[in-house]
Amino acid sequence: MEPAEPTIDALGQFRLFPSLGMLGRSVNFTQANTFMVIGGLLTMALLYYGMRPRAIVPGRLQSAAELAYNFIYDMCVSQVGEEGKRFFPFVFTLFFFVLMGNLLGLLPYAFTYTSHIAITGALALMVIVVVTIVAIRENGTHFFTEYFFPAGTPKALAPLIIPIEVISYLSRPVSLSIRLFANMVAGHVMFEVFATFTVMLAGLGLFGPLIAVGPVVINVALVGFELLVACLQAYVFAILTCIYLHDAVHLH
Amino acid sequence: MSRRLFPPCRFACLAAALLLLSGAAASAAEGMPQLNFANPLTLAQIVWGAIIFAVLYVIFARSSLPQVAEVLANRETRITGDLEAARDAKAAADTAVAEVNAATARARSEAQASINAAVEQAKKEAADRARVLNERLEQQLQTSEGQIAAARNSALGAIREVATDTARVMVSRLTGRTPDRQAIDDAVGQALAARGQA
Amino acid sequence: MNENPDGTGPPRGGEPSFEERLRAARGRKRLDEPPASRGGSAAGGGFGQSPLGIGLRVGVEMVAAMAVAVGIGWALDHWLHTAPLFIALFVLLGGAAGVLNVWRMFAPRPERTPRA
Repeated sequence: MEPAEPTIDALGQFRLFPSLGMLGRSVNFTQANTFMVIGGLLTMALLYYGMRPRAIVPGRLQSAAELAYNFIYDMCVSQVGEEGKRFFPFVFTLFFFVLMGNLLGLLPYAFTYTSHIAITGALALMVIVVVTIVAIRENGTHFFTEYFFPAGTPKALAPLIIPIEVISYLSRPVSLSIRLFANMVAGHVMFEVFATFTVMLAGLGLFGPLIAVGPVVINVALVGFELLVACLQAYVFAILTCIYLHDAVHLH
Repeated sequence: MSRRLFPPCRFACLAAALLLLSGAAASAAEGMPQLNFANPLTLAQIVWGAIIFAVLYVIFARSSLPQVAEVLANRETRITGDLEAARDAKAAADTAVAEVNAATARARSEAQASINAAVEQAKKEAADRARVLNERLEQQLQTSEGQIAAARNSALGAIREVATDTARVMVSRLTGRTPDRQAIDDAVGQALAARGQA
Repeated sequence: MNENPDGTGPPRGGEPSFEERLRAARGRKRLDEPPASRGGSAAGGGFGQSPLGIGLRVGVEMVAAMAVAVGIGWALDHWLHTAPLFIALFVLLGGAAGVLNVWRMFAPRPERTPRA
């Protein structure tokens, strides 16, 4: 890469800035938080505006709202069982928090708060804390012995099994947060890289603008793909939460 | 379909991106903004994020989702109720149809029975009348036969007298003498007997 | 053409009778089943199907387990001043935990019956 050319600043898009003017600056309210609020408001708009007709035969928007509701509800019940109904609001909030972060990030000038490891890490940590609390509530301290050292395992293997199970348990929030974070960062870095590539090629002599069409086409295809990834990652985050909750309630 | 199309495309994208990233790695070496924990905003966004998440959770759990649940429950009871009503109505309709069919069949058989009875009655009356008529005719026939026999008998009796008288007159005319009465009587008797009419 | 000579059976060209439609609707709502059998069917957590997606997930699981293990090992060493001992031990355990994670990822989920 020649130093004279415009450098690829693929990571500048992830930089945080205070939002909402002076007030936001004074309380460190970032643009990430602004988009969280926007995402939440959009979800609420879907639920309130969509469900406003309260029709027996739903219209388009009401169908969408009911679909969202039923999708998460069925996920909870099928993955966790009957107890899943209690965790439904939690999983619903989690899913739409992540989904809105992923989807809003695909809009121009928007900020993808799920591309911050701090946010995904905090979400994953919250999930694992909730799961652990649920496990202890459901099974008492019995949970620790049963979960990390299942009955029927030879006692001699305890020094091996218990650390492995503990590591496995603790690696859940790590993998949960890294997966979402990596997917979002990879997608947005690729957008940025190909966009910069287009600009660089366009200023490259006679045939430059012609070749520059290539990265644009790739980016258009990438948008479709990233839409899929955005939904899939939100789904994965939610369903893994459900699976962990199932394990917490039923112990494996 | 789109899924099938994507993996090669994504591989190509990843390869190209990695190539470029390796070049850009130098400029990124100062660190990703996500890992810049020296920036107070990195941790501040978590605090605000937690507050926003908590507020959203409370709103969804307390208000938004129960409202959706209510609509869904209403529909569920409505559909269930409608289906129950449909089944009940269908059952009622079926029993009504069965009743109508039974009533029709009963009426038809009753009508058939009364028709049969009437026909039977008519037949019997006709037979009675025919018998009475036959008897009367028989009687008349017998009476007539009696009269005919009497008439013939009297006619036959007259024949003997006429024959005797005729024979005596013929004999007296032919012979000129009065024939023996007894002899003529016998001759006529013999002649009649020979013809089987005595 | 599609008249039905006797007014009973499934009538006119392919259109299901009222009875069949009612039965189908009730079946969808599971109204005619005994209430006990209305459990949710196992939905199998099948996601992330493309080879690349599976590869990424396996990598993430392994890396996550290793990261946690190295973190614990480093912390134990730092605390107990046993420099390379625990970090070496926990690298091995981390690898095992990563394999366990991946195995759990692909292993069929156990039955959803609460154990005693």
